[in-house]
Amino acid sequence: MSAPTILEGQGLTMRFGGLMAMAEVDFTLRKGEILGIIGPNGAGKSTLLNIVTGLYKPSSGAVRLAGERIDGLPAHRIVAMGIARTFQSSRLFGDLSVLDNVVIGRHALMKSGLLDAILRRGRAQAELNDAAERAAALLKAVSRDLYAQRHRPAAELPQADRRRLEIARALASEPRVLLLDEPSSGMDDADTDALMADIRAICAARPDLALMIIEHDMRLVAALPHRVLVLDYGQKLADGPYEEVRKIPRVQEAYLGRKAAQHARA
Amino acid sequence: MSASNPASNLTPADVAAPVVAAPRAIALVAAIELAGALFLRQFLLAEDWRVVVAMLALFGAALVAMQRRPALEARIEAAFADQARLAALLGLAIVLAFPFVLEKSTYALHLLVLAQLYAVLALALNFQLGSANIPNFATGASYGIGAYASALLAVNWDVSFWLALPAAAVVATVFGFLLGVPSMRTRDSYLALVTIAFGVVIHQLLNNLEFTGGPNGLVGIPAPELFGHSFASPLVILGYDLPAQANFYYLSALLVGIAILFARRVHDSRVGLAWNALRADELAARCQGINATWYKVLAFAVDAFLAGFAGTIYAFYVGFISPDNFTFLVSVTIMTMVIAGGMDNTLGVIVGAFLLTLLPEKLRAFSDYRILFFGVTVIAFLMIRPQGLFPQRLRRYGA
Amino acid sequence: MAAQVAQQLLNLATLGAIYALIAVGFSLLFGVLNIIHFSHADVALTAPFLALAIVPALAGALGGAPFQAGFALAALLAIVATGFLGGILYAGIIRRFRNAPAMMALVATVALGIVLRELIRHLFPNGSNPHAIPRLVTGSVDLFGTAVPLFNLVAIAVSVLCVGGLFLVLGRTRLGLHIRAVSQDRDAARLMAISPERIFRLTFFIASAIGAVGGLFFAGYAGIVRFDFSVDVGLIGFSAAVAGGLGSMPGAIIGSLLIAGIDTLVQATVPNGASYRLVFVFLLVIAVLVFRPSGLLGRTVVEKV
Repeated sequence: MSAPTILEGQGLTMRFGGLMAMAEVDFTLRKGEILGIIGPNGAGKSTLLNIVTGLYKPSSGAVRLAGERIDGLPAHRIVAMGIARTFQSSRLFGDLSVLDNVVIGRHALMKSGLLDAILRRGRAQAELNDAAERAAALLKAVSRDLYAQRHRPAAELPQADRRRLEIARALASEPRVLLLDEPSSGMDDADTDALMADIRAICAARPDLALMIIEHDMRLVAALPHRVLVLDYGQKLADGPYEEVRKIPRVQEAYLGRKAAQHARA
Repeated sequence: MSASNPASNLTPADVAAPVVAAPRAIALVAAIELAGALFLRQFLLAEDWRVVVAMLALFGAALVAMQRRPALEARIEAAFADQARLAALLGLAIVLAFPFVLEKSTYALHLLVLAQLYAVLALALNFQLGSANIPNFATGASYGIGAYASALLAVNWDVSFWLALPAAAVVATVFGFLLGVPSMRTRDSYLALVTIAFGVVIHQLLNNLEFTGGPNGLVGIPAPELFGHSFASPLVILGYDLPAQANFYYLSALLVGIAILFARRVHDSRVGLAWNALRADELAARCQGINATWYKVLAFAVDAFLAGFAGTIYAFYVGFISPDNFTFLVSVTIMTMVIAGGMDNTLGVIVGAFLLTLLPEKLRAFSDYRILFFGVTVIAFLMIRPQGLFPQRLRRYGA
Repeated sequence: MAAQVAQQLLNLATLGAIYALIAVGFSLLFGVLNIIHFSHADVALTAPFLALAIVPALAGALGGAPFQAGFALAALLAIVATGFLGGILYAGIIRRFRNAPAMMALVATVALGIVLRELIRHLFPNGSNPHAIPRLVTGSVDLFGTAVPLFNLVAIAVSVLCVGGLFLVLGRTRLGLHIRAVSQDRDAARLMAISPERIFRLTFFIASAIGAVGGLFFAGYAGIVRFDFSVDVGLIGFSAAVAGGLGSMPGAIIGSLLIAGIDTLVQATVPNGASYRLVFVFLLVIAVLVFRPSGLLGRTVVEKV
C-alpha cells in the first residue's frame, strides 16, 4: 500500500508507577488502511488506544496525526482533530435517546455556545437541527434497525445494537481515524458476521478512513485487517499481514498458542 | 425541522406514544392548569391545618396514581406537547391574574414571592445538578453573595435596584467561576465537599466581617422604584388595589419566566447535550470532543449568575439580610428541590421548589414540629418516587 | 511559652482524637457501602442524650452508687444503643438509597439528620436547651511541668484503643475479612456465602458505636451538648474523612489531626481566631482537595477503559 501515512506512533512508552505497560512501540497507519491489533490480555492494546486518544499521556514517545504532534493533548482536542473511538465495554449515554447519542458525536463539529443558545436561538437551533438530520441519516446508513429505534433510550438497546450505535456515534464526528476496541466482544458468530459486514460497508463508503481494531476473534482478524500488529507484555512482537504474522513462532507461542490453551481449558 | 426530514416518518416508538385528539388535548391542558392554580390558591389560603394535610394527601394520591399508571402520565405529557403554545399562554394568564384571586392576602403573596425566588434558585442549580450531575452545596452562598453585593451597593452608595441587579449577578458569577476552578479537579463526594467548604467559608465570612455587618447583617435596603412607583406601596391595576407584595410577586415571576426561557433554550442546545453527556459518562463525553473542564466551570457560573439575581430581589424585598439567610441548610434545601422535583425537568424543579417552600410555612400549625415534618416528607418523597416528581424527558427533534 | 505550646499540642491531640472517632465512621461506611452517610454525626451525637436519659433509670438500680459510676455505665449502654440505632436506620431507610445516585443518598441522609436532630429536640425534656455533660474523669496529672487534665488523656487513650481495635477487627478477624470482601466485590462475597446485607448492618453498628464514643467525648470536652451540635461535628468529621481520602482509615485519622491542628493553631495565633476557625479549616480542606483531588491517602482511581 502506498497511501500516505495518517497516524504514526514512535517509541511509545507508558509507565504506571513501577509498572511498564508499554515499551518503545512504533506503529504506522495509512489512509484507508485497516490495522488489527492483537495480543494476550494485558499486552498493552488498550493502553495504546488510550495513548492515541489522549486519555493517557505517554511517558515518552510521540504520536503524530498527519504529521502533527498530538500526544499530551487533551482527549477532546484529539477528537476535534479527527480521531474517534469506541469502547470495549460499551459506554453509551444510556439515559439519552439513540439519536441524541449520535448528535453528541457531532459535538466538535458544532460551534454554538451558551450565549448563542440563549441570545441567538435561531442560529443555535438551526445548527442543532442540521446535526440531528445528519445524525439520523448516519444512523439509517449504519443500520435501519437502529434508525427505527432512534427515540428510545440507548440503555434499552440489545447488545449488538449498542455496539453499532457506538460505531455510529464515533463516525458522527467525521473522523479521519477510527479506533474500535474489541468490537465483537460479547457477540455470537452471527452478530460478528453482521459486524464485519457493517465495517466493510463503512469503509467502502469512506475510502480514506483509517481503522485500528483491537480484536480477539481470529475470524475477524483473519478477514478484515490489511495488517496486524502483535503486542505482548507492552512490546511489539510483529507487524505484517495476518498470513505472515501467524507463522512467526514467537507469535504463536505468545498469543495463538496460549489462546488455544485457554480454549482447551474452557 | 421540515416535513421532509426522515424523523417525521412513523416508527414503532412514535406509534407507541399516545395520540390525543386536539379538542381533548386542549381540554386536558386547560383543566390541569386551572386545577393546579385552584389547588395552589386553596393551599395558600388554607388556615386549618387539617385542610393542608388533606390537600397534601390528595397531592400524594395523584402522584401514586401517576406512578401506578404510566399511561395516564404519558397521555398528559402528549397533550402538553401538542398544545405547547396554549399551555404557555394559559399559564402566563394564570400567573398574571393570580394575585387578584388571593383575597388581598399579604401572607399568600409573600409565600409566592419566596416560592418563586426558590424556583429560580432551583432552576439555577438544575443546570448543574440536573443537567450535568455536578453537586453544588454552595448555591445558597451564591444567593447570599448576590444579596450582599446588591445590598452593599444600595446602602453604601445609593445605587438603584436596577443597576444593583446586574452588578450583583456579575459579582456572583465571578464567585461561581472561583468555585468552579478548584472544583474542576475533583469529582463526586470530593467535589461535593469542595462546594460545602466554599459555602461554609462564605457564610462564616459574612458572619464575621466588619463591612457585611457581622451576624446582624445589613438593614435599611430601600425598596426599588420604577417610573416613580415605589415597590413598597400598593399596586393599583385597573382600579384594583393589590398589596405591596404584589410588586415583588410580578418581579419574581418575571425572573422565573426568564429562568424558564434560559433553561429551555440551554436544554435544547449543544450545551445542554454536552452537560447530559457528562452526566451519563464523563470519560465517554470527553471522547466525543466535549471539554469536560470548561463545561463544569460553565455550569458553576450559570448557577451563580441566576442565584445572584434571586439574591438581589430577596435583599430588596425583605429590606434586611443576615448571614443566617444563606446557610448550608439553604443550599441543601435547594438541592432537595431539584432532586425531589425531578432532575433536568423544568416543571418538576419548579413544583419541587414551591412544595418545599410552602410546606414548612403552611405547617406552622405544627409550629415546632414543622422542621421534623419537613425532613420526614423529604425522605418519604425520595423513597416513594426516587426519580423525582417529574422525571426527565427524552428530547424530540421537531416532533 | 513552652507550657503554652504543650497545652496547645494537648488540645490538638484531644480534638484530633475525638474528630477521628467520627471521621473513621464516615470513611468506613463509604469504603464498605459506597455511600455518604451524612447523618452519621447526628447518630453519634444521640449517644450523650441517650446516656443522660439512661442515668436516672439506673439510679434506682444502682442505689447509692456515685453519680459518675452511674454515668459511666449509662455511657456504655448508650454506645451499644447508638450502634443499634445506626443498624436500624440502615435497614429501615438508608438501604433503599444504596443503589441510588450518590447525590440522592446524600440529600436523603441530610434529611435524616434533620429528623434525628428534631426528634432529640422534641423527645428529650427541654431538648432545645444545652445540657451539661459531666466529665467522667476529673483532676490532672503533672507531665513535664504542665498540669494535664486526665480527661484529655483518657479521651486520647480511648480513641487510640477504639481506632486500633477497628484496625484489628478489619485486619485480623473473620468479620474483618468478610467486611473487606464485601467492600471489594459484593457478588463474589455472596458466592462465598457471605450475606452483604448482614455485613452492611454490622458495619453500620460498628461505625455508629465508634461514633457514639466520639460523640460522648465531644460532649464531655465541651461540657455541654445541644441537639444541633451534630451539624458542625458532622461537617468537620466528613471533611476529615474526605480530605484524608474516603475509604482510608489512616487517611481519616490524618485528616482529623490536620483539621484539629489548623483549628488550634488559628485559635491560638490569629486575633479573633475563634470566629474565623471554620474559615481556615475549610480553606485548608479546599486546598487539600485542589492538590490531592482524591484526598491525602485516597486511591487515585484510574478509570479502566
